[in-house]
Amino acid sequence: MLFVLKRIGVSVLLVWVVATIVFLAIRMVPGDPATILLSQGGVAPDPAAVAQLRIQLGLNQPLGMQYVADMHRLLVGDLGQSLQDQTPVAGEILRRLPRTLELIGAAAVLAVLLGLPAGLLAAIRRGGAFDRIASWLAAVALAVPIFVVGTLMVAIFAQGLHWAPAGGYVSFARHPLRHLELLAMPAATIAIGLAAILFRMTRAAVLDVSMRDYIRTARAKGVAPRRILARHVLRNALMPIVTVLALNLGSLLGGTVLVEYVFNWPGLSGLLVDAVNARDYPEVQGVVLVISVLFVALNLVVDLLYALLDPRVRHG
Amino acid sequence: MVELSRREWLIGAAALPVLAETARAAPADTLRFGLSSYPPSLQPWVNTGTAALTVKTLLHRGLLMFGTDGKVKGALASSWARDGKNGWTFKLRDAQFHNGQPVTAADVKWCLEQIMAPTSTAYLRGQFQAIASIEAPDAKTVRIIMKQPTVTLPLMLATPFAPIIAKGSLNAAGGIGAGPYTLTAQERGVSLSFAAFAKFYEPGHPKLRQIHMPVYADENARVAALQSGDVDMIEYVPWQAMAGIQKNPKLLLNTVDGPYMALAFNGGTGPFKDERLRQAVAHAIRREEIVAAAFFGRGTVLEGLPITKSSEFYDPKYAHGWNYDPKLAKQLMAAAGVPNGFDCTLLSTAQYGMHLATAQVVQQHLGAIGIKVKLDLPDWATRVAMGNRGQYEFCVQGQTADNNDPDGLSAYIDGTLPPDNARSYHLPTPEIHKLLVEGRAEFDPAKRRAIYDELQRVALKVVPLASLCWRAQGYAMTRNVHGFTNMPGGLNFYSGYSLENVYFA
Repeated sequence: MLFVLKRIGVSVLLVWVVATIVFLAIRMVPGDPATILLSQGGVAPDPAAVAQLRIQLGLNQPLGMQYVADMHRLLVGDLGQSLQDQTPVAGEILRRLPRTLELIGAAAVLAVLLGLPAGLLAAIRRGGAFDRIASWLAAVALAVPIFVVGTLMVAIFAQGLHWAPAGGYVSFARHPLRHLELLAMPAATIAIGLAAILFRMTRAAVLDVSMRDYIRTARAKGVAPRRILARHVLRNALMPIVTVLALNLGSLLGGTVLVEYVFNWPGLSGLLVDAVNARDYPEVQGVVLVISVLFVALNLVVDLLYALLDPRVRHG
Repeated sequence: MVELSRREWLIGAAALPVLAETARAAPADTLRFGLSSYPPSLQPWVNTGTAALTVKTLLHRGLLMFGTDGKVKGALASSWARDGKNGWTFKLRDAQFHNGQPVTAADVKWCLEQIMAPTSTAYLRGQFQAIASIEAPDAKTVRIIMKQPTVTLPLMLATPFAPIIAKGSLNAAGGIGAGPYTLTAQERGVSLSFAAFAKFYEPGHPKLRQIHMPVYADENARVAALQSGDVDMIEYVPWQAMAGIQKNPKLLLNTVDGPYMALAFNGGTGPFKDERLRQAVAHAIRREEIVAAAFFGRGTVLEGLPITKSSEFYDPKYAHGWNYDPKLAKQLMAAAGVPNGFDCTLLSTAQYGMHLATAQVVQQHLGAIGIKVKLDLPDWATRVAMGNRGQYEFCVQGQTADNNDPDGLSAYIDGTLPPDNARSYHLPTPEIHKLLVEGRAEFDPAKRRAIYDELQRVALKVVPLASLCWRAQGYAMTRNVHGFTNMPGGLNFYSGYSLENVYFA
């Protein structure tokens, strides 16, 4: 119990540290939200209007007061309002986060469906034609930047063949078919790189496990090859594969920005980049904080699971 | 359960793209317009960028507006005239707000007073301080009394920065307007939808029943959306895509010279306190190369103040006063005591390609006459902050005038105004200020012309900014879209006014 409380305490502390760092970092970067907002389109705003907007947005307050007000708001679960249009930040994140999670989730499913069987097959037929071709394709997929893949897909399937829309977003509730149609290309773009990683990882892990003593013993005992593969090789090889997949999915949480831009998918990463460009302090803080909390929560769950599985962790 | 043969499966699969394309086709009475960004705010009097202006031209109308010929025309006011020495009178037409209430003089008075209020963040707040009082003698008449005679008041009122909303209706979402369209749906960062306002004052307008505006912040995504048939029209066509659009038989490219690129100077510190060195810079740059490098040849060299050729104040005598003449630039440097050149820093940004490419060309050309230029290329927000604080020696500007009258350049060339990143820093221009004030107060066209001739002459000498080029501002559309007007020069960002005329044919 003490271990659990300690871990939760550390997690809360981590979230506070992140909130403080983000608060200070975004304000240390030059750029005034009021000036940026009122000078859009290259016009010269009236300085008195800019000063007035700074007052309305509370930007004229001393930094310490802004910090105390921000932390107080966070304590009661309020992420504040956007400096641009006073939209509640929490509401906007709640709208955007599921879109990014959906994109990542769809990409993960595609990547697993493609990468895992291909990796397995390549390992079984090591050195064969399939292995060589698939390894070469995986190398290409990893070498080509994700925005190039996305742009090529748009050029071929949207602009060239007119098979798919170039990009955009419609909610599933409003138009399910159109939603899936719009999801397909960005998810596939992310999936290509991810599938290549999974392919390599699966191939290497399967080859590694296949050479272990217990596999040789199983073969010597006359266990059927199919059974060895499914029950012994794949099950043991899955551990590093799942770890790599989880790590990559975690980094995608804030890293789908290029795909979101190319396909006009309004997710969380795009929101963060736009907020930084506009110096929308509450929005930047809110998005970074939510991503951080998700990471910290994931780590907490993993730590607690380790403790559950391994008593040595519990007792230090 | 229906069983399908392999052939039927194949036919079905082959038909999918066709079905998808059919599903994407919009009804013939709905224009799908690809916006370049989601409006940060729809506050009626606050400037929040071009996309927001386009949206606001759908929702709102002011007393006046700019017609497709670029001239001021009545909007909610059916007529207007000078009233005494300092006043203007506006007669309102029978128009309604989107809530069905009539537009009255009381609404107009309230709106204009909000713009000029001490707590206002309106774009025209500063200019409206020239108003002494606003009167509403009856429901259909508005009198605006200026502190000085002001010929340019109709120009200010014709911009989309002074829309009239129903009295007291201002809220976080905007206000109740009287424009040709009403907002029916919006999803932050994704799209906005509009329906025609059935009681719009102009009979037969707007011509389309609906407009849907999905947002494509990435310029390539915007072009791809047009080329793939996802939208009917886009704004801010990237220059590199213009040739491809022109070659496409299904599409139409509409460009005009709109915004312009220029250099602004720090007149408070550094080498450019000396006007001879500002002149030297203005003469040392071969502007054709900026048009080629930054705008893929889509622009026009600009060697004088940014006054469009279509303006009555355009004078070829002054239009090429900063012509490319490196020999003259060297002479000016010698006269300023730096014949062998000097080191300086040019502030621009790497965030926008046109700003970066412009800075690089300027660097090359100044290097050729001995001025060693170091580029400072922060992100745009930092660039704006540094511009406001005067943390530069000279900087690249991309901007547009308030209108096509020389007075529309005031914010960019009047050095007596408070420091702002959009104009030269601490560069006093008393003569220019005096001429701008005189021009604003002069109602005689011939005398105004003489004042602005003098203004151009003085500006060429003082160099409050060194113009570089007009950049082509493009809209692209499918060939069945008609009725849209891309307005030139300072009116370019007000082109959304003409969306009420758009129809399919």
